[in-house]
Amino acid sequence: MANAHSDHPAHLQHHFVSSEQQFDAAKMGMWLFLVTEILLFSGMFVAYIVYRTWHPEVFAHSAELLDPFMGGLNTIVLLASSFTVALGIHYAQKDNKKGLVINLILTFLFALTFLVVKYFEYTAKFEHGVFPGAAFDPHGVSHGVDYALYNIPYARQFFSIYFVMTGIHGFHVLVGMGLFTWITIRALKGEFSSAYYTPVENCGLYWHLVDIIWIFLFPLLYLI
Amino acid sequence: MSHAEHHISSIKMLSIVFGGLVFLTVATVLTAQLDLGGLNVPLAMAIAVTKASLVVVIFMALKWDNKVNAVIFGIGLLFVAVFISFTLLDTLFRGDLSNTTEGTIQDQTLEEEALKSREPDAAALEFNQIPQ
Repeated sequence: MANAHSDHPAHLQHHFVSSEQQFDAAKMGMWLFLVTEILLFSGMFVAYIVYRTWHPEVFAHSAELLDPFMGGLNTIVLLASSFTVALGIHYAQKDNKKGLVINLILTFLFALTFLVVKYFEYTAKFEHGVFPGAAFDPHGVSHGVDYALYNIPYARQFFSIYFVMTGIHGFHVLVGMGLFTWITIRALKGEFSSAYYTPVENCGLYWHLVDIIWIFLFPLLYLI
Repeated sequence: MSHAEHHISSIKMLSIVFGGLVFLTVATVLTAQLDLGGLNVPLAMAIAVTKASLVVVIFMALKWDNKVNAVIFGIGLLFVAVFISFTLLDTLFRGDLSNTTEGTIQDQTLEEEALKSREPDAAALEFNQIPQ
């Protein structure tokens, strides 16, 4: 017991038997957290499903107001960020610090791109009175689209769901940017290697889940 | 302690999956422009489920992961399914169940409104005017 400190790696905490056990425990904790995230979003998906089954024609009509090009672009951007984070983990496992850092920075930049596109989408809607809740009052004409045509009963439900779901998803993207900043700084300090990359792995899992949520939001809100 | 090697996904496989995900995204945008009647929604959802499965199985490496994580994820999905289906059992059939009279609540409301808007019966008015 006296010399227990001398023969274990710096990242291994005392209450774990081995690095492997510590890694597995952290990862299982992350999966449990992801399940709570899935349940958080499933509440909103249930709201969407219920209101859509009640007013399917209103939802289909309202979805036309959202730009599938912008939504599709953001889908590709998020898929690319999932790809780079998976590459980052690959390089961490291969002890390639440069590859890890480059891919983490790329992931951050893709996340930023996603939010910039979302900013333009939101402001274009706000300009024409498409707000969530009581302020909903579509008006004006832009790019040949008469917004007043979308001021129909129950359209407010669709747009409230749109803003809340994409808003909470966008907040998760913002949190992801913070996480990747933190992970990138630690990677630059050389804290990660094939023996210890748990934080990279778990942030990657979180980021993939944010991607998966968007994979469902995109067709539900923009396409159908 | 035996050290189990972590699975390392090859760059080639990750690239192929990324290519597949981009292809499916383009496919879902294009098929949404077609009028497939009732098939548009199921098709879009089928593509989304396929994409999400690729991300979970390959990118999140659940395929090579400790099986307990797959169980946790599966139980999560099970509860989502319970959440959605039990809510729909209510919202899809409101007014159809537990009625003591014929027809749905909507039918009864319509019938009630029709009765209220009906011209009053002359005999009934006369009857009501008879002093007690």
